[in-house]
Amino acid sequence: MGGEFLNNSSPSYTKIFYECFPFYLSIGMTYEQYWNGDCQLVKYYRKAHELRNEQKNQELWLQGLYIYNALCAVAPVLHAFAKRGTKPHPYTEKPYPLTKKGVNEERKAQEKANRQKAKAFFEAWAARLKLPERKDVSADGNNN
Amino acid sequence: MAKQIIFEYKGKEYTLEFTRKSIEIMERQGFVASDITDKPMTTLPTLFAGAFLAHHRYVKKEVIDEIFSKIKNKQELISKLAEMYNEPILALVEEPEEDEGNIEWEASF
Repeated sequence: MGGEFLNNSSPSYTKIFYECFPFYLSIGMTYEQYWNGDCQLVKYYRKAHELRNEQKNQELWLQGLYIYNALCAVAPVLHAFAKRGTKPHPYTEKPYPLTKKGVNEERKAQEKANRQKAKAFFEAWAARLKLPERKDVSADGNNN
Repeated sequence: MAKQIIFEYKGKEYTLEFTRKSIEIMERQGFVASDITDKPMTTLPTLFAGAFLAHHRYVKKEVIDEIFSKIKNKQELISKLAEMYNEPILALVEEPEEDEGNIEWEASF
């Protein structure tokens, strides 16, 4: 392979075009585009192919993360000497946010949920204390 | 966008361009790329005629010869045609140009 180039200082362009042709067909280019279309189009098809590969790689990585976390969640019950009644951790309720906006929204929702939880806790605590009912006190110290 | 030479002759607009198919046809007819550098002036008419294959395949040879005889600055023409001829092969290895968002401007005075 390639020995023909050593014998001929100027390789046939056609030969190279035919060698590259299957690759471009595999990434979605048509016969018409490759042979008769704008010759620069191949660059953009290559770039698009690169982006598709990156996206696919991201998706596979994310899938791996979900699987890893799912395994971690069930890990406590898989333990041979797990205590009786051990339960697995729940699987993530929502998909992981992928965008910056999604991350911010998730954080805000979490903060809001924490505030609600704290409020409920302090209200329950105050109710348990059975504090005397609040009376209005005037400026001279007398109860009204 | 592929490099093109556009001109008008006898009221008709012509667009000269090389596609992979037109290069294949030219090579099948015996054209060799290295001839452009080895014997440019003898290669020029064939190269010029080959540039018609992409958009004006059925234009008669006599018409192409007539146009060629009236074209000025043939030295410049051969360098442009050679650049255009190499474009389909270079596009297979070059990366797309990235627009960095630079603003082009010109003054009207």
